[in-house]
Amino acid sequence: MTRAQLIAAFVAALLGLAVLELVRRRKLSEEFSLLWVVASLGAVLLAFWTGLLTAITRALGALYETSTIFFFGILFVLVVLVYYAVKLTALTQEVRRLAQEAALLRLQLEEAERAGRPGREDAGGRE
Amino acid sequence: MRVLLVVPAFNEEVSLPATLAELAREAPGLDVLVVDDGSADRTAAVARAAGVPVLVLPVNLGVGAALQTGFRYALERGYDAAVQFDADGQHDPCDLPPLLAPLAAGDCDLAIGSRFVGRAGGYRAPWARRAGMRLFSALTSLAVGRRLSDTTSGLRAYGRRVMRLCLEYFPQDFPDAPLLIWLARQGVRWTEVPAHMRPRRGGTSFYTFGKSLYYPYKTLLASLIAMLRTGAGRGGSAT
Repeated sequence: MTRAQLIAAFVAALLGLAVLELVRRRKLSEEFSLLWVVASLGAVLLAFWTGLLTAITRALGALYETSTIFFFGILFVLVVLVYYAVKLTALTQEVRRLAQEAALLRLQLEEAERAGRPGREDAGGRE
Repeated sequence: MRVLLVVPAFNEEVSLPATLAELAREAPGLDVLVVDDGSADRTAAVARAAGVPVLVLPVNLGVGAALQTGFRYALERGYDAAVQFDADGQHDPCDLPPLLAPLAAGDCDLAIGSRFVGRAGGYRAPWARRAGMRLFSALTSLAVGRRLSDTTSGLRAYGRRVMRLCLEYFPQDFPDAPLLIWLARQGVRWTEVPAHMRPRRGGTSFYTFGKSLYYPYKTLLASLIAMLRTGAGRGGSAT
């Protein structure tokens, strides 16, 4: 086992544990943690089982094991980013809908208050 | 026909009172609703002082989303049509009757006040904006197979059916070319009516410099996507 392997396995394991701890503290939802847990497990696996990494590299037709790692690493990051952008768009739409609903309800409430308590402030000065 | 004038306002405390006063004077039969789009100034207070109902958005959402809020209100309260009217005094209330006439007659679902049709005139934008307006008008005309002279006009009258469509899809910032292309694909019939444009009374335009770079990109992309969207293409182009 080389030093590089040890460091890779250690960092990947640390990432996985950090993600699990965040989920335990309710700072991260299970949904968002899934991608990261899977990625760190994969990294730990490949760090120990170099035979698998070599086999994947052959299958891909790549020359070096490092290319395989970078390929999957970058692919993973891209997928995560697109996934977040989709989530962000959905959130934006939800926030917009809620803000609109809040504005409509607030006006209804003001009208109801005005109608329910005649003469309090309505009699004076309006319009 | 019950008509609601929807006035989206973002930091318009300076120009809003005069606009509302003019509307009360020149268009007394029409209900007015101000949508305060998360203003930091006294926009909502100024509108309330004019005796007009105000929808206060807790955050700034953009003109399109503010207008959409007005449509929700209009649909809930059973209005037959809603008119988009600028807070800054650029629109002239005298354009309202000709704008509403084709809608009331049932000739169309959407009436657009155009600065480039018929007698109206006197409007001159900076050259870059003029070039952009021409580009998007050409693009939209091509996409819907019908000539459209003014896609960026902010003076429009929407019928109930169009308002309902606008709840499904509506650009958050500027309801321009992409919206019109999409509406045309849904089979919405529209007419263009001559309209005047006046210089704004105060405050600053929504169209700032930073947005002037992003806007053409966004509108082009959204227009292309609106063309690709599947759906009933009755109003769409045959070419």
